[in-house]
Amino acid sequence: MPTVTSRMKLAYSPTEAWQPLPAADWNADAAGHLLRRAGWSALPAEVEQATRDGLAATLARLFPSQPVLWSQPPLIAHLKEDIPAMARGLAGAQAGPDKQRLQREARERTQLAVLDMSIKWLQYAAQPQNAAFAKWVLFLSDVYVVGVQKVKNAALVWGHFDLLARHAFESAPALAKAVSRSPAMVAYLDLNESKRDAPNENFARELFELFLLGEGNYSEADIKESARAFTGYRQKFGTFRFAPRQHDAGIKTVFGQSGYFMGDDVIDLAFQQPAAGAFLPHEMGKFYLTDTPLPPEYLHEIGSWWSAQHFDLHALALRFFGSQLFFSPEFRGDFIKSPVQFYLGLVQDLGLSVAPLPRAVLNPLRQMGQTLFNPPNVRGWVGGRNWINSATYQARRQLVETLFAPIKEEALNADEQLELVAARANGVNNFTVADDLLAPLAALDPTVATTHLLANYLALPVAPEFRDAVRQFLAPEDADAPQKLRRLRRAAVTLLQSPEYQLC
Amino acid sequence: MASNVPTPLFPTTRREFLQLSGRGIGLLAFSRFAPSFLVNSALAASPAPEKDRPILVLVQLAGGNDGLNTLVPYEDANYYRLRPTLGIAKDKVLRLNATVGLHPSCAALHRLTQNGKVAIVQNVGYPNPNRSHFRSSEIWETASGSNEFLATGWIGRFMDNACAGAPAGSHDPVGIHLSNGLPQSFLGASDHPTFGLLPGAGNHRENEENRRLLDSLVNQPGPGENANATYLKHTLMDALVTERKVQSVLSGYQPSATYAGNPFAASLRNVAALIAAGLPTRVYFVSLTGFDTHSNQANQQANLLTTLSEGLAAFQKDLELHRLEGQVTTMTFSEFGRRPSENESRGTDHGTAAPLFVMGARVKGGLHGTAPDLNLAHNQDLTYTTDFRSVYATMLDRWMNCPSESVLGGKFASLPIV
Repeated sequence: MPTVTSRMKLAYSPTEAWQPLPAADWNADAAGHLLRRAGWSALPAEVEQATRDGLAATLARLFPSQPVLWSQPPLIAHLKEDIPAMARGLAGAQAGPDKQRLQREARERTQLAVLDMSIKWLQYAAQPQNAAFAKWVLFLSDVYVVGVQKVKNAALVWGHFDLLARHAFESAPALAKAVSRSPAMVAYLDLNESKRDAPNENFARELFELFLLGEGNYSEADIKESARAFTGYRQKFGTFRFAPRQHDAGIKTVFGQSGYFMGDDVIDLAFQQPAAGAFLPHEMGKFYLTDTPLPPEYLHEIGSWWSAQHFDLHALALRFFGSQLFFSPEFRGDFIKSPVQFYLGLVQDLGLSVAPLPRAVLNPLRQMGQTLFNPPNVRGWVGGRNWINSATYQARRQLVETLFAPIKEEALNADEQLELVAARANGVNNFTVADDLLAPLAALDPTVATTHLLANYLALPVAPEFRDAVRQFLAPEDADAPQKLRRLRRAAVTLLQSPEYQLC
Repeated sequence: MASNVPTPLFPTTRREFLQLSGRGIGLLAFSRFAPSFLVNSALAASPAPEKDRPILVLVQLAGGNDGLNTLVPYEDANYYRLRPTLGIAKDKVLRLNATVGLHPSCAALHRLTQNGKVAIVQNVGYPNPNRSHFRSSEIWETASGSNEFLATGWIGRFMDNACAGAPAGSHDPVGIHLSNGLPQSFLGASDHPTFGLLPGAGNHRENEENRRLLDSLVNQPGPGENANATYLKHTLMDALVTERKVQSVLSGYQPSATYAGNPFAASLRNVAALIAAGLPTRVYFVSLTGFDTHSNQANQQANLLTTLSEGLAAFQKDLELHRLEGQVTTMTFSEFGRRPSENESRGTDHGTAAPLFVMGARVKGGLHGTAPDLNLAHNQDLTYTTDFRSVYATMLDRWMNCPSESVLGGKFASLPIV
């Protein structure tokens, strides 16, 4: 984590900060802020509804207590079914060309399944009614990180996301215990390798450092002892099991307490630590609010409250997203969108569907610096300003251009053409911005069209000079209808490429 | 909000890593989060880019070019057995020696090969080939093994090595791509100035309008002045400076050769313009798409090969007339070749190895490597005889003056092509 030398100065005291936003401060701007930060964009209709409904009702809608599940893609289901047979085949094959072929087939199936699952997740997350929940699970996956590159099996990674979704709004200890049994996690952090006589410390270390407490809130001895408690955790064919013979059943001393601890006991002990309450709010601040960590006294304040709530995740989300602090002026419109948010925000803002074309969708995400299901390491995405450099910013600009140009069908590979045909057969064909989407706007008076574009796309009101530049661009002298349409198209492209649109 | 840049605890770029190492902070302090460049390549600082350094132009044949109908083994009865309808008749083949010759659409490349300006490396591939476009492109672009996943591309790692000492404040791009999006090849462990031009000539007027509006917007006071907005504006301003420079070069260029009227030729013309303008760019990336010929391949591939062959020949001639040919080597690649057995739709399915072309004044023209063995059962694939990383190693060691081991993470034998 970067060391930040300057301290954040907040308008509220720590106690005031976490009080609910007064009803008088709830307005369209606040609603837009909530929708952009909790989801991907602030569509005018959504802003209007949220403003009307009020903050509490909007939060209840964005964060339903029951999970909004993402249905299992068929390729994952098939892969999961075939895991045991594939594993048996591999185990039975002699070293040589046959074994290599089987290994290759297994790899290729997972690679295909990851591409398919990435597209399917984006399609699910792009639905406005799923956005906030999908992003919350993405946040949890940025705490409880696994990566398909190490896990090697896409079905396990899908299972991990499903598990996070199912436990997303339970108590945090219940979520942590479930994660310790997630087959993807067992594989990712080497629990599978952890034996009674040779405990592997990888999981225990990250549990304290990156999942529950943060650095400085545990000792090396705590890690060593806890690693013993997690021995015997295994996964086979994507199913968790406990191997008693590989478990160290002896007495362990963790955080000064001794007992015949098992993994779940260690998680409970960790949640008794003073740092436990503040850790997840700190992570939420980083993921949803600001590059600069929230000051400790503010984290301590919400942490104590959260501990008293038995670490209920749903209560935490409602409190965090409904607080005065969340709506503070210093947090409006100054956060750099992640590539996923940039892409899904564009899809929503432009009324598009996610194209079923892995190259066309996932390559830009990779070029912008984010490959779904494959974070760079166990820390997850660093985020913030790290998302932007000359190449990634250019990739963002190019993505906008791509979304405003028809799909070049002659350049598609054969499998992509089939996907496109199938999507169209289902009546879905809005993968890029067609002229008829823009024509109504182009017909408007340039001043009105400018207001419309700026209000729909940008998080904050712009300076009069900025507004004038857009309006003048929209209305060159003697422009006829096709020219107006072209100008509107270029103005929309340019606004979406502007620094202002990169922020939310 | 904080306006000063936080000090990273872990290095995010090679330079930061070196600075930390120089201050005696050991590798172990952050080995758990070691960025990929530490794992993948040892540091070798080759010279920073400047004028007159060797330039590499990469030409991607996207979709998987059919190698057997590009370099045709016209004396091999197996070829005609595997290709009953798609086989190129012996009398149509542009012969290179007593056994192989080029597709009839490659007349210009044939001439260049005979003049010693084109080397053809036969049967290039890699072990355990993958037949997915996505994955096999990734393997070629990251120069990884088939079961290895690298976060950086081979050109990106070349830039990591060659450009570590680039002068601060220089925004001239080290790599320029004329393709849809930053090629994976260009991804480095650290940020390098790269630049992308949409393929072909593009709509100059629209691009220009777009740039002018962005220019005026970026110079307006922002909604709320915060550190992130300022950072984004600076990044964009740098890019716009490069764009203006590139656009003025392109619009003022007088080519010395005649380029065909297609986007691929236009891209090559633009590359020639940028090289002639003396940009310090070391690598250009151009893409020609449409090689995924699962059905009715004959005409499609013939058209594509004409585009390729004539485009490359015009480019080479243009460079020669500008006396730049000694500075530039051009190389083609494709994610895979195609299946030796043709399919039921007069096309070919995804395969493995294929030949590639290397063009330039400094290449050793003619055939290199060995031809594939076609004694194959129905639907069996070719077994590669030259690893693509050997070709990369050759370009790095013998052309780009960059130690290939640090880029490729291992030793691959050089070939006598340059």
